[in-house]
Amino acid sequence: MSTDPTKRAAASGRGPGSHLFPCGQTRREFVWEMGAGFVGVALSALLNQEGFFGQPASAAESARGLNPLTSKPAQFAGKAKSCIFLLMNGGPSHVDTFDYKPSLQKYAGQTLPADKQFTNSGNRKMGYLTPAWREFRPGGQSGLMISDYFPRVREHADKLALIRSCHTDSHAHGSALVAMNTGSTFIGRPSLGSWAVYGLGTSNQSLPGYVTIMDKRGGPISGQPNWSSGFMPASYQGTLFRPVGEPVLDLRGPLDRKSQREQLDLLAKLNHQHLDARPGGADLAARIQSYELAYRMQAEAPEAVDLNQEDQRTLDLYGVGSQPTDEFARNCVVARRLVERGVRFVQLYSGGGHLEDTWDAHESVEKNHGRHGAEVDQPIAALLTDLERCGMLDSTLVVWGGEFGRMPFAEGEGAPGRNHNPYGFTMWMAGGGVKGGVSYGETDEFGFAAMTNKVHLHDLHATILALMGLDHEKLTYFHQGREERLTDVFGNVIRDIIA
Amino acid sequence: MLAAEKQSPPRIGFSVAFGLLLVLGCCLARPSWAAKDDATESSTLWSLAPVARGALPATKDSAWIKTPVDAFILPALEAKGWAPAPPLARERLIRRAYFDLWGLPPSPEEVQAFTADTSPDAFERLIDFLLASPHYGERWGRYWLDLVRFAETNGYERDALKANAWQYRDWVIRSLNDDKPYDRFVVEQLAGDQLADASDESRVATGFLRVGTFDDEPNDKLKYKFEQLDDLIHATSTAFLAVTLKCARCHDHKFDPIPQTDYYAVLNFFAGGKAADGPLLAYTDIGSETPEVQLLHGGDPTNPQQAVAPGYLSMVNVEGAADWSQELPTSGRRIQLARWITDRRNPLTARVMVNRIWQHHFGEGLVRTPDNFGQLSAEPTHPALLDYLASELMDGGWRIKRLHKMIMLSSSYQMDSIHPREAEYAQVDFANQLWWRANRRRLESEPLRDAMLAVGGQLNPSVFGPSFFPPATKESLEGLSKKGAEWGQSSLDEQRRRSIYMMTKRSLLLPLMTTFDSSDTTQPCSQRNVSTVAPQALALLNNDFVHQQSNELAARVLGEKGDDPTAEVDRAWWLALSRAPSEAERTAALAHLTVQRHNFASRAAQDGKAIAEPEARRLALASLCHVLFNLNEFIYVD
Repeated sequence: MSTDPTKRAAASGRGPGSHLFPCGQTRREFVWEMGAGFVGVALSALLNQEGFFGQPASAAESARGLNPLTSKPAQFAGKAKSCIFLLMNGGPSHVDTFDYKPSLQKYAGQTLPADKQFTNSGNRKMGYLTPAWREFRPGGQSGLMISDYFPRVREHADKLALIRSCHTDSHAHGSALVAMNTGSTFIGRPSLGSWAVYGLGTSNQSLPGYVTIMDKRGGPISGQPNWSSGFMPASYQGTLFRPVGEPVLDLRGPLDRKSQREQLDLLAKLNHQHLDARPGGADLAARIQSYELAYRMQAEAPEAVDLNQEDQRTLDLYGVGSQPTDEFARNCVVARRLVERGVRFVQLYSGGGHLEDTWDAHESVEKNHGRHGAEVDQPIAALLTDLERCGMLDSTLVVWGGEFGRMPFAEGEGAPGRNHNPYGFTMWMAGGGVKGGVSYGETDEFGFAAMTNKVHLHDLHATILALMGLDHEKLTYFHQGREERLTDVFGNVIRDIIA
Repeated sequence: MLAAEKQSPPRIGFSVAFGLLLVLGCCLARPSWAAKDDATESSTLWSLAPVARGALPATKDSAWIKTPVDAFILPALEAKGWAPAPPLARERLIRRAYFDLWGLPPSPEEVQAFTADTSPDAFERLIDFLLASPHYGERWGRYWLDLVRFAETNGYERDALKANAWQYRDWVIRSLNDDKPYDRFVVEQLAGDQLADASDESRVATGFLRVGTFDDEPNDKLKYKFEQLDDLIHATSTAFLAVTLKCARCHDHKFDPIPQTDYYAVLNFFAGGKAADGPLLAYTDIGSETPEVQLLHGGDPTNPQQAVAPGYLSMVNVEGAADWSQELPTSGRRIQLARWITDRRNPLTARVMVNRIWQHHFGEGLVRTPDNFGQLSAEPTHPALLDYLASELMDGGWRIKRLHKMIMLSSSYQMDSIHPREAEYAQVDFANQLWWRANRRRLESEPLRDAMLAVGGQLNPSVFGPSFFPPATKESLEGLSKKGAEWGQSSLDEQRRRSIYMMTKRSLLLPLMTTFDSSDTTQPCSQRNVSTVAPQALALLNNDFVHQQSNELAARVLGEKGDDPTAEVDRAWWLALSRAPSEAERTAALAHLTVQRHNFASRAAQDGKAIAEPEARRLALASLCHVLFNLNEFIYVD
């Protein structure tokens, strides 16, 4: 065996030469990942100009510490450049909102047939099949049936693709939320937004590529793993944006801008002297550059969330300044502004903390969904109107849904609440290349479990990625001996809802 | 059919309805190795060959050879006609050594004493001093905690505290400080409860099997039972063996010669275990009988197949090990697995560990895939050196501290991180596989935070005990589903302790730490990412903690050198960077003090407040100190 490892590696075709990088990545994987997208680095411009794929690996290699968030071309043509994911935390009841089950009237007062097996989440009381708590009515030309919890969204029925046959892997909030976000009920995997930014980078280097906006009442159960980048670099994780005040943690310190500029100038000067003594220090150069980007972000991130720049008509459209819409309306306007500025993936939570502060309607569907529906219906409808008006709806995919649905029977005899149901529920999508006015898949006649054209989380994720121009089977990240995917080894794109 | 009249609510069925979820369902393709002759395949995997201690290679330049390490490094360079990088300047060498062994910077006095000490054994004495300090275990213990996915809560909805998880953390630190033999270190973690001389201390070590994530409300209890076992198998096989055994859960391993039966053979060792009762976070056996283990088709717990007897990785040839399986008692089996792992004939264990030690001294392992020694591994850059070190580890009673010494006393370790012919060599060997210079390394989140505390004289060096809660701003608590209620309070004194003593809560990792790529705590982490992104700059520019430490450093400097701006600048440089400023740097720094003094005074005046001259001077000095904490020179170690 040669004593020269560079020769040996070349001869064997693997060995150290092909695995120089963290987590056992090959050079090509590393370059692909590092070429991917956010806020960083010296040679990103070079990569952009010369085309990422056409380059010899050695040229890219010499850029130690490339910007992982540089905008990258999609794998194939996808209409959606960005995604806004409206996550209805707690699990909205599909049979009361978007899954029209008139037969529940007929079966009211009866029990679910005994052959329908399920886990009673939390061992709660069980009552009789209960019809929707509010009327369903047809919306738009398509006549999609949507209930009175969402009268304004119903006006946009012709933009919606309802997916009425979703099912997921857990009946418990903690793991179901993580599954909705990462594809797995176990914490530790990269979230959907991380995969999108990993695959596509982001086009505005002064803002994060992936933004998560919490409900003021609290974060989702399980916390950080919901927007984590898992085993991918931290640059792909969701950045928490607050809709009021400073949007990003540590965006401002005690120093005024002039004094801070003074610091940054001294910092750059000293760092450059340090770099001069260390030729080839691309990592050092990258870090110098990151300070200029941070400085810009301090100005641009507040601008992105500054609703004073919106006209009153727009604010009124969303319901900013009115109750109970104000908070979610603000978040929706911010989401549009972020997408407009090139942010790749924005996730908004409706509902935060626990139980009735979320869509977790154990006590009363009418009370709970009446409250949360009123908070979000107008803002969501306005978001669709506004995106269309700005010409952004085609390039922005809007996804709506919770971590699971709710049972068609009451939580206790004659009780007004419903328990968790992972076996069947509805999500919908709009814009971003989705067909409008369509309904895909069905639950059984009770709305208990998905029956026809079942859509698992993996299928949903595969479809979202496909709409963004990413092939879920090819978007892989090598980690601990395995090419990891968002969809594991599963997932089918729902072609029928793609325009 | 539905009955027409009301009946009592339905009885609950099992959730087999969607039982066929292969959570780790890897591809079902036939593995590449299975088509070939298994015996030859496993023997071609470099990591499975017996560890062979070879003779030291001959070199032309004998003056450069300070320890056996150099004799293995130099020949490949000489063969190319290359010269190793010159030795690192002494004031930077001591800084490297401090960060390597303590994760803290040296004091100016320590640097000056070392550079003035011209005796030939000065560096050796320094290493001995550093290795003898409890700070050593705090630095190297952190690497181990990453590997065992350490955190102090369960994760998921309730994210409950694991009572006394800190005792395991302390056990790790103490074991390293005591230079506990590595084989014993392994045995205690896997089977500290089953030792003849089991004690509370050795039982605490089995916290290794308890510190992973735990879902107290799993969707499917049966499936989750195997998920928990998988976590133990994954942690064990990754940390000790760098083998991706988890890939054989659903089918034969795709790349490595690991049949699916091996997975279930190993699973036997954990199948009879459970969380121990009592105050310790320990592991124990369920009872005197271990349940029979069956192979699960496709990893599906509802599809059990033939029974699989206890056994080890069949690709690893430890002579006689098969017989141990026959003798296995019905309980107390984990100790047998530990015995197999730490057997001298197991070719992986020592190699994997010395590779980790090398990695944390040089920034990269001799094997650049520290968590994978299988077919997809990077072959060692210097196989004979890896084996030499592995033999040294075993022959030296599995003691680690002497390996640190052998490595750090070498010329290879003491090279500069820049090479006069950098551009030329980098063309050929960009990844520095020949080790022609040292790798410059960025401080991880913990030493970064600790160094800021230390430089300002604020570090509370107290060791061990329950973790402290750092102050969490309202904003950083936004992500919690129960805001505020779940975050504890610690005294200011406690909050100045080293980062390894910081509470690790899975649903709320401190943003300052995660921003700098701290490990995510759900899976074993052999090597951290090193990302360079703007939020890191924002954190160092604006985070309260950094401002506090800048103020503390300014106060310290003023207290020591007040009234003389030049002396202040020099002192701040020495404290933060272990050296005096250059003339140009001093001039720039003094100018900064003047401008900022003016800025702060006029800023206050604008706000209708007057600030006294001493306060303006203090603020200006704090601004300079803040700049120092942001320097590349502060965050990178040469």
